[in-house]
Formats: sequence, structure tokens, C-alpha cells
Amino acid sequence: MRAAGLDIGSRTVKLVVIEGGETVLTRKDLTSHDPLEAARALMSGVEYDVIVATGYGRHLLKGHLDCPVISEIKAFALGAKAIQTSCRVVLDIGGQDTKVISLNEGGEMSKFEMNDKCAAGTGRFLEIMAYALGYTLEEFPKAALSAERSEKINSMCTVFAESEVISLTAKGAARSEVALGIHRAIVSRSTALVRRIAPSGEVFFAGGVALNRCVEALLAEDLKRPVFVPPDPQMVGAFGAALHADRSIMKGTSHA
Amino acid sequence: MHETVEPLINDEYTGGPPTKRVLARLQEKRKEGRKVAGVYCGYAPTELILAMGISPATLCAFSNGTIEAAETVLPANLCPLIKSSYGFIITDTCPFYGLADAVIGETTCDGKKKMFELITDLKPTWIMDLPQVPDQEEAITHWTAMIRKLQGFLETTFGARATDDGIEDSIRDINRRNAMMREVFEFAALRPAIVDWREMYDLTFLAQGSSGKDMEPVLSEALKKLAKRRDDGYSYGPAGAPRVMVTGCPVGGDAEKVFAIIEEAGGVIVALDACSGFKPYMTDTAEGTGDPVRALAERYLKIPCSCMTPNARRLTEMTRLIEKFRPDAVIDVVLQACHSFNIESHKVGEHVEKVHGLPFLKIVTDFSLGDVEQIRTRVEALLESC
Repeated sequence: MRAAGLDIGSRTVKLVVIEGGETVLTRKDLTSHDPLEAARALMSGVEYDVIVATGYGRHLLKGHLDCPVISEIKAFALGAKAIQTSCRVVLDIGGQDTKVISLNEGGEMSKFEMNDKCAAGTGRFLEIMAYALGYTLEEFPKAALSAERSEKINSMCTVFAESEVISLTAKGAARSEVALGIHRAIVSRSTALVRRIAPSGEVFFAGGVALNRCVEALLAEDLKRPVFVPPDPQMVGAFGAALHADRSIMKGTSHA
Repeated sequence: MHETVEPLINDEYTGGPPTKRVLARLQEKRKEGRKVAGVYCGYAPTELILAMGISPATLCAFSNGTIEAAETVLPANLCPLIKSSYGFIITDTCPFYGLADAVIGETTCDGKKKMFELITDLKPTWIMDLPQVPDQEEAITHWTAMIRKLQGFLETTFGARATDDGIEDSIRDINRRNAMMREVFEFAALRPAIVDWREMYDLTFLAQGSSGKDMEPVLSEALKKLAKRRDDGYSYGPAGAPRVMVTGCPVGGDAEKVFAIIEEAGGVIVALDACSGFKPYMTDTAEGTGDPVRALAERYLKIPCSCMTPNARRLTEMTRLIEKFRPDAVIDVVLQACHSFNIESHKVGEHVEKVHGLPFLKIVTDFSLGDVEQIRTRVEALLESC
């Protein structure tokens, strides 16, 4: 039996297929302006027996495939627990959301908190700020890590922060120091959420922003707690959805 | 889906917005020569207004459509309820305001207070100064004086009169209305649920400005239907649906998107803990005290609005509701820029989680549809945890 999980996020679409508890396929691509088409392209030629969708586009896929859906909060909780069995706190910073999920001993979600409804302090924020400073997404964390000091960024609103960055560079501030300031801003925002939900313990850091080494380092420094980034942090939600699909087959079989 | 049953109020307005039914009733009253006073808030003393032969009309405040017009004057980062109210007035699109001969407001929050200043020249308007440390003796004395002053304003504006005996009669009448409403809520508390939240909302909205005498036939019929539903074993919503209590700011019109999302996520709404829901009907005014206006002041100051401090009553009332309605989750709806409900949400969340062991979610929203999917993700995750 092959179980698939599809995570249609605001910026990227991710697909994971598992069989016998092992991941047999992972794919990802940009969501673009047409998430359904992006999902179809990702799924083309992929064989599976059952699929579960998650992410912002989950209901769109449900309408076309009549598949079950779970929230990305549940998907990340399931995925994280399977990757790291001791996991009790998940921080996911995606394209337009930041979520913190605390898990109970059984691995079930006990509480969650999300950022305000706008994309302030999320992956999209980092993308726009990198662009404003003329960095690629790969260069951006490296430049920030190379800075000895940081400029303070006060605004978390993407639009206002961009104006702030422009003002700073216009005053001759070093580009790398502004970059570090932006990373610090996003981290302080996320650590506030983490502290509110889960005051102690190692943090399982997932989502596209977990690919950013500077954010990872600053999180550990700010929280004074270990931060664990799984090998493919963007795929945790899709993996969780695939696990949910797999478990529903098992349940279905046991009922038969 | 659930089987169909006869709605609790079955008239030509059933299925539509509850405002139309209330408007038709007010137009009738108007034809009979009654005066109409526009009100914005649960602190307006219905008993006094009715005792003076005046009908209270809840003014429009829940449409996203009037906000753009309001923002030509008001700041964008203000509570949507205040912006919408003001927008309705300047675009002259609230039929209740059109019918109203005067407007009664209260100093519940800074936004409303300053907005009222902008409409006060348009119609006779009376602002009641609401004390906000409600358990002090001075607060009750002050609010008693404010109700008497409102009486004076209504006398001068309408030439209306009310004796203390008349106010006492009105108190008894509204207590009877509230008692009947609470009987309806008893049915709403049944497990599985037998009432659609829209039916509850229709009743709470209609009853707001209505006398007990006017509500009696409607409520008697509703109670009969509810008893039949219970005896027939009818249930509303999917089997095993998580029961949700919604608390917080008033919700109506475009803010009902939150209720719709809860139902779409598979939940069933069993209790509406807001001024737009059960709150106005949960407490009675003391009868036969010899000072009916002071009795009114005492009763109204017990409304646990977040503008009060400290507002422990919100939590004790919430415990009462949780014990009665047995929800599986509590959702606190905070309107954007309503600082008092927003800050109080922290206490409410701790109370719900620690004292009652229930999952809790705060939603900050406005009347636009821009955040529907964000809210849906949060609500689905909450209900998955039930």
C-alpha cells in the first residue's frame, strides 16, 4: 500500500509518498498563481493508493480529488513526531504562517498558536527583504551570519519593514548588518510565540524558513534551547499527511 | 446532513437576515404611533425605554459594506463595529436609524465615545456615562443617576412619561421574557444539539428590543417545537460533532463568517456568549425593591462586558455556561482593535484551559472576508484536537 501526502502551501507544493513506513518519493515545486495545476503537475505519474491533502490549498484539492484533508497543524504534529519521537514542540515557519505546536506525551497536539493573519515575520517576509537588499535566498543568511553587528528593524509589517530597510540603506548602513537585523526581527517574533506555548524543551524547527541557517542559529541563541532541524524541513507537513493517509488505510483494513 | 424540521420562528423572514423581521415589527409599531429610540449596546435600559411607550431599535453595525465610507473620516485601524455603525449613518443606509427619533449611546469604549460625537448633531442623541469599576457603591449610584437622566431626556424629546410603578411593571415583563429565553437555552444545551445557531440568533435578536408581552407568543411556540424535537429524538448537525461555545465581542451580519466556518469545519455551535447572543437574558432585575431605577442600575452593571474592571463576572458566567452547555471547545471572537476584549482573552483562555480543561482559540477578525482561510485553518486544527 502506498500512501501519499500533499501539502499545498502558500509558496510551495510538496508531495511525499510512503510505503511500509518508508518514504519512497518526495517532490516539491512553487505553488504559483494556479495551485491546482501545480499540484497536478507534481502528482503526474505518481502512483498511490490513498492520499490526504493539507496546507492552504487542501480544500481545493478535496474538491477535485474527493480526498480527506487535515489542517497543517495536525500534519506538522504527525510528521514531526514520526521524525523525532521525543518531539514536544514544533515551530513551523512557512510562506505566510508561523505556527507553534506543543505535543503531549502521546504525540497529540495539545495547544497551538499562530502569527497574526498577515504574513509579517514569515518566509514571504524574508523573501521580500532579501530582494530589497539585492540578495538571493541562498546569499541572504550567509551575509547575515557574516555581520558583526545588526541594524535594528522595528517594523514587522512587510510593507513598512521594506521602507525601513530602504531608509537604512539610504543612510549608508552596511547591507549585511541590515540583513542580520531582519533575521533577528523574524526570530524574536517566533520566539515570543514559542515561549507562550512551550516554555521549555528542544524545538523541532520545520517549514521553508528552517532551511535558513541564520534563523536556526539565532533561534537557539535567543531561546537558549536546542533547536533541531530535520533533514528536509519543508516536507514535514506532506509527510504528516501521508502518515495520516497510511493510518487511515490501516484503520480501514482493521474494520473490514 | 440533518433532517429538516419546522424552524422555531416560521414566517416570511425565516432563512433571511433577522433584521428584516425586526424592521417589519418596528414599522408596525411606528404606524400605531409609537416612538422609536435607536440603541447600540446591551447597556441601554430596555425596561425604562419600553415603560415610556418607546420601542428600542438596535442600530446597524455589522456590515463590511459601509466601512469604506466610514474610513473617509474614521481611522482604518478602528473596531469594525464602530466603523460600520458610522458608515451606515453617513451613507443613510440603516433603516433602523431612519426610523429612530433619537439615539442612545453609552461610553463603553473610547472608539464609540468619539464616534458618537460625530453623529450627535444629526438626531437627538443621549450619551450615558457608564461607570467601569462596577462593584463599587458609587458606580451603582452613578448609573442610577444616568438612567434617571436618560428618562429626563426621553421625556423632553418625546413628551413621554413613566411612573416608577410603570417601570416596575416593565421590569417584571422583561424578567418574564428573559426567563422564557432561558427556557429556550435549556433546549439548546441538550446533547446532542437540537437547535441551529441561526434559530437562536433569530430569537436573541428579535427579543432584544421586544417586551415580554410581544415575545410571549413567539417563545411559547418555539418552546413547543423544541419539546417536540426533543421527544422525537431529533438532532442538529453531524453525529458526534464537537460542540462549540463562542464568546467575546458581539457577532452578527458579516462577522457571522466565523459561525459559518465553525459549522463547515464540522462543529456545532451550542452557546453564544456575547451581547448579540445569550448575555442580555442571563440575569434578572430585582422586583419589588421600591426603587426600580436603582434595581435596573444594579442589574445592568452586572453585564460582564470587557470594558468593566475587574471583570471576574465574565469568568463566573462562563463557568455557568460551560457547565450547562458542555462544549468541547471555546472560541473567543475579538473584533480588530477592541483592546479590552483582546487583552481579556488571555484570562479567558487560561480559565477555559486550566479550570475547564477545554481547548481554546482566540480569533481576531473584522467584517471582511480576507481572512476566512486563515481562520478556517485555526478552527479546523482546534476541532481536530477535540
